[in-house]
Amino acid sequence: MINPHPGLPELQYVKPTSLAEASKFLAEHEGIARPFSGGTDNFVRLRDGVLKLDYLVDVKGLEGVHEISFDSKKGLTIGAAVNMNKVASNPEILRHYPNLAEAAQSVASYQLRNRATVIGNICNASPAGDTIGTCMVLGGVLRVHGIQGFRDVPLSSFFLAPGRTVLKPGDVVVSITLPVPPKGFVGTYKKLGRNIIGDLSIVGVTVMGFPSKDAPSGYQFRIALASVAPVPFEALKAEAVLSQKKITDEVITEAAESAMQAVTPIDDVRGSARYRKFMVRNLTREALTEVWKKLSK
Amino acid sequence: MANLKTKEITTNPIGASVTRNDVYEKVTGSAVYADDIQFGGKLLHARAVRSPYPHALIKRIDTSKAEALPGVKAVVTGKDFPNRIGLYLQDKTIFATDRVRFIGDPVAAVAAVSDEIAIKAAALVEVEYEELEGVYDAEFGASDKAPLIHPKLGDYIYPNFIFPKPGTNISNHFKIRKGDVNAAWPKCEHIVERTFRVPHIQHVPIETHIAIAQMDEKGKVTLWASSQSPFAQRNLIAHALHISQSDLRVIAPLVGGGFGSKAGVTMEAIPVALATKCKGWPVKMILTREEEFFTNFVRQGLTAHVKIGCDKAGNLLALKNTMYWDGGASTEYGVNVTRAGGYSSSGPYDIPNIENDSICVYTNHPIGGAYRGFGMSEMHTGLDQAIDELAEKAGIDKVTFLKKNGVVGGDILATGMTMHENGLLQCIDNVAKSLDFSKKEKPTSPDRLRGKGIAVMWKAPAMPPNAGSSAWVELAEDGNVTVGLGGQEIGQGTFTVMAQMAAAALGVPYEKVRIAGPVDTQYSPYEWQTVASRLTWSMGNAVRMAAADARKQILEMVAEAWKEKIEDLDIVNGIVVSYKSEQETPLENIVIYGMPKKNDEGWMGGPVIGRGSFMPKYVTGLDAETGQGPRAVVHYTVGCEGLDIEVEKSTGKIHVLKAAAAFDVGKAINPELVKGQIEGGFVQGLSSAMFEEIKLKKGVMTNPSFVDYRIATAPDINFPLETPYVEVPQDDGPWGARGVGEHPMVPTIAALGNAIYDATGIRLEGPPFSAEKIYLAMLDAGIVK
Amino acid sequence: MNYSTITLTVNDLVETVDVPQNMTLLQMIREKLSLTGTKNGCSAGECGACTVLMNGEPVNSCMVLAAECDGAEIVTVEGLAKGGKLTQLQDAIIKSGGVQCGFCTPGMLISATALLKRNAHPTDVEIREAIVGNLCRCTGYVRIVDAIKQTAK
Repeated sequence: MINPHPGLPELQYVKPTSLAEASKFLAEHEGIARPFSGGTDNFVRLRDGVLKLDYLVDVKGLEGVHEISFDSKKGLTIGAAVNMNKVASNPEILRHYPNLAEAAQSVASYQLRNRATVIGNICNASPAGDTIGTCMVLGGVLRVHGIQGFRDVPLSSFFLAPGRTVLKPGDVVVSITLPVPPKGFVGTYKKLGRNIIGDLSIVGVTVMGFPSKDAPSGYQFRIALASVAPVPFEALKAEAVLSQKKITDEVITEAAESAMQAVTPIDDVRGSARYRKFMVRNLTREALTEVWKKLSK
Repeated sequence: MANLKTKEITTNPIGASVTRNDVYEKVTGSAVYADDIQFGGKLLHARAVRSPYPHALIKRIDTSKAEALPGVKAVVTGKDFPNRIGLYLQDKTIFATDRVRFIGDPVAAVAAVSDEIAIKAAALVEVEYEELEGVYDAEFGASDKAPLIHPKLGDYIYPNFIFPKPGTNISNHFKIRKGDVNAAWPKCEHIVERTFRVPHIQHVPIETHIAIAQMDEKGKVTLWASSQSPFAQRNLIAHALHISQSDLRVIAPLVGGGFGSKAGVTMEAIPVALATKCKGWPVKMILTREEEFFTNFVRQGLTAHVKIGCDKAGNLLALKNTMYWDGGASTEYGVNVTRAGGYSSSGPYDIPNIENDSICVYTNHPIGGAYRGFGMSEMHTGLDQAIDELAEKAGIDKVTFLKKNGVVGGDILATGMTMHENGLLQCIDNVAKSLDFSKKEKPTSPDRLRGKGIAVMWKAPAMPPNAGSSAWVELAEDGNVTVGLGGQEIGQGTFTVMAQMAAAALGVPYEKVRIAGPVDTQYSPYEWQTVASRLTWSMGNAVRMAAADARKQILEMVAEAWKEKIEDLDIVNGIVVSYKSEQETPLENIVIYGMPKKNDEGWMGGPVIGRGSFMPKYVTGLDAETGQGPRAVVHYTVGCEGLDIEVEKSTGKIHVLKAAAAFDVGKAINPELVKGQIEGGFVQGLSSAMFEEIKLKKGVMTNPSFVDYRIATAPDINFPLETPYVEVPQDDGPWGARGVGEHPMVPTIAALGNAIYDATGIRLEGPPFSAEKIYLAMLDAGIVK
Repeated sequence: MNYSTITLTVNDLVETVDVPQNMTLLQMIREKLSLTGTKNGCSAGECGACTVLMNGEPVNSCMVLAAECDGAEIVTVEGLAKGGKLTQLQDAIIKSGGVQCGFCTPGMLISATALLKRNAHPTDVEIREAIVGNLCRCTGYVRIVDAIKQTAK
């Protein structure tokens, strides 16, 4: 029986002013301290008693966490404290990574987007995270600061299980860098919730396509799926179909079917496994059709 | 002085959409709700200890560690308060005594100087349980295979219109036997037989339940509560504590939404219980949203087996409706939902042969209480979809079928009562016109299916036969009027409408009337409860009477002073005028000080105070076996709703293109408020149709938060909603008015279900009509691949 | 229990407050500053009844630690009307009938005020999206959206 606290349980608030200080503190208080920026996931879990902490460590005073910059060689860097609204409305992101803005815009409500962050979404490792798929298909790399200093962790190897990542005690994720996307790419995020908007995803489909000389079809696609597997899931077999065969409606359907076959959703309070599988197929097909239409112009 | 030859007459506030008299405070944040009242440093915080089991015996409770924690001022358990209470059937105690009957059932409570200490103390209360087999389905619960949840049902006190079956889990069995359905079936050309299941839902007031209680050294209690029922709470809690009603004072500030959840007594008794153990200290308890979802009132679930038949021409001949209500752990309130569901089980249709069994069953689920609609939404969900199917079978267009069978004045109803004049047929016409219902329209895009659905409803105020209202009206030296009443402003606009009525009945501008709030049982006149859509009608009658009484006192005094006849006098715009002599006097001062006699020979009149009291006298009992009686209810409000929708083929998602909702309100005292009620009720109904469900698994609510209990948000209501209401006067309503508070949420599920059927050919077993259910049903039916 | 001393501006007034470190901004506003216009509907960031402006942007104050707010500028519903004069939006929501029980109203007004500041002429879809995080159970949103539209004109 969940019987949450009215407010937050007793805890201490710590705001380190340097990454070195932050990592040291987190390492010394392993298991009872956690970094936060918006807190929209952590606070709920603390109230529920699912998460027990003595310290909340505010990252908003650390170096590099507010950065939001685009470099035509390096790509896009988003700091850990940059909220979803900023991502959804940033001119560089809108120009170079429009589907990331689209995914960020789909999160929850305007109020929550003023607190929720892309990095927070990633660190919570929820299979339902809306922006994770885009970051994955773009080959995002996390800049992590730990007790041994900085290191880079590609997103593709970051997630272990729902709520579990490769982060170690003392680690603070400082920013994510998304490489410059392939030339001519088109992407979209299709999210299915219970209400028209504003819900968690029952199924979330990120699709990206771009011209590619390496692919027999002339194009490569990336397909990432949310809420249908323990971790955000890339449908590699479906991607292969699209890079191998000349792209037609039938091939798109085949790819969508492949994505459907590849996922292992569960029955949960939000939706059944059966419905999710079909929605993966239908939303993937819809997303692929939309992307292909723009690519093939 | 006004020139009486060209009389300036106050715009009659009756029928005027005046601005509400409570909104300035609400938009500036100065409106006071219960959690806003400041109690100072002495305030204690309460936390309940709750059962983690759906059904278990309590073997042992040890509160010693909790009591020893510094900062704890009181710990109470069930053994301290063994009295059973209940609005109808007295089956519940403030805390579980010998056994727990649902997850969240309060077993004990603590009061401490801070929330943190209260939570720690609650965790220190040790309770030993012995788990029992649980009941999670109403039909199973009613069978002889089910374990008994209330073995002492035979000892409970109940009024003579409730029929519990001791030795079973059935706490009420209401029957209608009208005509002879068995003889009628063979005469039916078309019959539809279906089972419908309506899940539990919760009211979701944005303000959760809250109560603060304080007992003084003499044993008198003051209770501040977000409440629809200050007087009923006074009555029931006094009964629970063995104190007299006058020693319990309930103060009820503005309510942030009720919808029935804040009627009767639920968590309010807990801080009162704690207060008795720490005299002088105010104890506050406020439910978390999660507790609001699963520990307090919910709307009971319903399984309904509906069989309905008509002749070749489409006249309804017979209805058999067997309803099993999943009442939950206590049905003190729910037994009347069962009854109301039963006596109105025919819907607003003229059906000569009816067999209804409306059975209230105990289960180990959250407690079913009063919920907007009081059984009608659940009942109509089944009935009006069955009728939809029957009309199709009979090959008769839906609107014609509804109008052919809709009740008209003079019809004999299921209980034998005669129906009054009503605007049902006009409501149907209005909705049909608004949606161009007979026109089959193409979807707006090839990936969607389109359909229209319509359903009707009715509801009577469900209350004891002697539920009363009273009011007083007084004036001040400045000529302003104050109305004393006992009904609650829960958002429906009653304070405004009562001020309009008092103004009209007295003869003053609406703007000069105030309501004596917050309602305080120490000073406010008695009002049964703010439920049942009864205030406009019942309290309105009392207010009108009180204002008319005040007016009479004023006119009698002035008539004596001016030596004129009362018939020649009037009060217009706050000024007493004589149409005969053309004299005038404003109300200022004379309403307090009276008027002097001539030649200093004394005084006439005195402080004006009007009184009004209204209680229906004519409601009769109903036969226990047949449900027949001369007058089951005071009156019915009827109505109709329709939707024009599309269903996405690829996801099953519903898009509403347009909706219409029409109700016969008798007289719209404030038209914009009436429309606001209809809009809000429709949306709540749509939300219950599309999204809402308490997902219960072996007694556990698996979605006790907004994350997974979804309700309608602003983007979901992105379609035109028309509200062409109708006015066929209520013979004993103030200016002909009757209530419409609950009704707009009643037919929405059926109307949507019918629209989905029209679009897809799919009829689901029950709401919520989620995208998933619709998609998978279309898939299985081969409508999509 | 650890405390932080914070200095912040609330409705144009500078306040210095000692707050327990687990206290939310909502609790601080209501309990320490006695500004009870902002409401608690869920304590989980879902209903929006607790919405305030923090440095010009609407946030669910139940999801912000008071301790985080040192140096912040907060506006609550009490800070909208100046000198007793209601804002256009407050007038509009009264006129349109968008207030029934009033419990969602403070949060709704804050969200809508912020919307109109960043987008003077929002479309119907944009209005609804801006208040998707403000739940109302009484009005069905119809007249609230109307009021925002009327004000935007």
